[in-house]
Amino acid sequence: MDGLLSLSNDLATAVERASRSVFGVSGRARLGSTGVHWRPGLVVTADHTVHVDEEVTVTRPDGRALTATVAGRDPTIDIAVLKVDAPDVPMAEVANSDAVRVGHIVLALGAGPRASWGVVSSVGGEVLHLDLTLYPGFSGGPLVDAQGRVVGINTSGTSRHWQLAIPAAAVNRAVDELVRRGRIPRAYLGVSTQPVRVPEALRQRLNLDQQTAVIVVEVQPGSPAAAAGLSIGDVLVSLGATRITDPTDLKAMLRPDRVGESITASVLRGGEPRDLQVTVGERPRRTK
Amino acid sequence: MIDITGLAEHLRRVTVEVTDAGELLGSGVLWPPGCVVTNAHVVRRPQVTLRLIDGRSLEGHLVARDADADLALLSVPGTGIPAATLAGPDEVRIGSFVVAVGHPLGVRGALTAGIVCAIGPIVPGGRSWIQADLRLAPGNSGGPLADAGGYLVGLNARAAGPLALAVPTGQLTRFVRAAGV
Repeated sequence: MDGLLSLSNDLATAVERASRSVFGVSGRARLGSTGVHWRPGLVVTADHTVHVDEEVTVTRPDGRALTATVAGRDPTIDIAVLKVDAPDVPMAEVANSDAVRVGHIVLALGAGPRASWGVVSSVGGEVLHLDLTLYPGFSGGPLVDAQGRVVGINTSGTSRHWQLAIPAAAVNRAVDELVRRGRIPRAYLGVSTQPVRVPEALRQRLNLDQQTAVIVVEVQPGSPAAAAGLSIGDVLVSLGATRITDPTDLKAMLRPDRVGESITASVLRGGEPRDLQVTVGERPRRTK
Repeated sequence: MIDITGLAEHLRRVTVEVTDAGELLGSGVLWPPGCVVTNAHVVRRPQVTLRLIDGRSLEGHLVARDADADLALLSVPGTGIPAATLAGPDEVRIGSFVVAVGHPLGVRGALTAGIVCAIGPIVPGGRSWIQADLRLAPGNSGGPLADAGGYLVGLNARAAGPLALAVPTGQLTRFVRAAGV
């Protein structure tokens, strides 16, 4: 039973360690949520649990309440950043979430502290799927590895069937943008694309090592793509150094930090290669 | 390698079936020596039949019952099986590994595993529970919640969705002491 005892102690120690930087967040009427002291003076929580836009009451790990302000928020990634004056509350030890593997034992923490455990079910690009219970109020809390390091932020807000966590790396990127601009811009070119096979003869002639690319099926008027001279029927092969083999590559490449960047779009037009300079734009926000 | 089978075996020895006229009412724990502690909601009559791990069926006589604490104490001398041992109240840590053994939905000696989720009330001002992130079902009531060393940390009383609620050992000792055992 020694292995079991040491696992048990490790898990309890992990909870103890990680809960030192866990805040309670009262951002909605009935059910509170959880937040993590992520960077000096910044508490990260789940956006869907913060229903107010300015001041939020948060509770420190020692139970004292204080007022925080919303520094930025993004409903798509479900992250909100709160400004908190609590320099004596330790910051979370954030681990490299790229090291998280399917099957790892993980803990979800809620303010209190409360804890649940389970395993990582799958690792996607921007999300971790979890086999564990996120109890009411756990959203916005840390996903913790067996050493007590934070590997993500839990949320039950974006899916009914899955318990999810936003990996720490994605949280870091979101926090950068939210602190800088208060929101996360959506990079866009203004094209609709479909995957397309690059004919073998063309591949050989142009010395292309990719089998597929995307074909432009729509160019929005006034968009960065239109300004760069992209037209319907162009086959987009690469953007900068990134090979585009299907529309997912294009989407993954268009990160928020690309907004404003000028990159070379390598296209095939009428079977001939051509380079176009395109400046990544910010998707216009929908007005209500 | 982590092995839970030894722990399961150990706990099954101290877990009894509480039955009445052949009907399974719930689980119980051989503790303190010569007695079985279970939930009050499991025992509704002064006499029940207790089925032990070795298949023997013995009569259990109600010694004390506290509906508010949801605890009942039955006397069952002569089992010859060593009673369970309690964990110290300060030894229960949030996040530590726990198992429940009982007879959920009539499945004899079933084991479920989880961790301690929280210790305290589930509603402000309510009674204190050992809350465990662990699955319980009807039939688990009165069975042991034990730590990785096999020590009793609570008596499983009910489930709140996926959350198991167990009566802390402090309440068990107070109840047994009040019963004069």
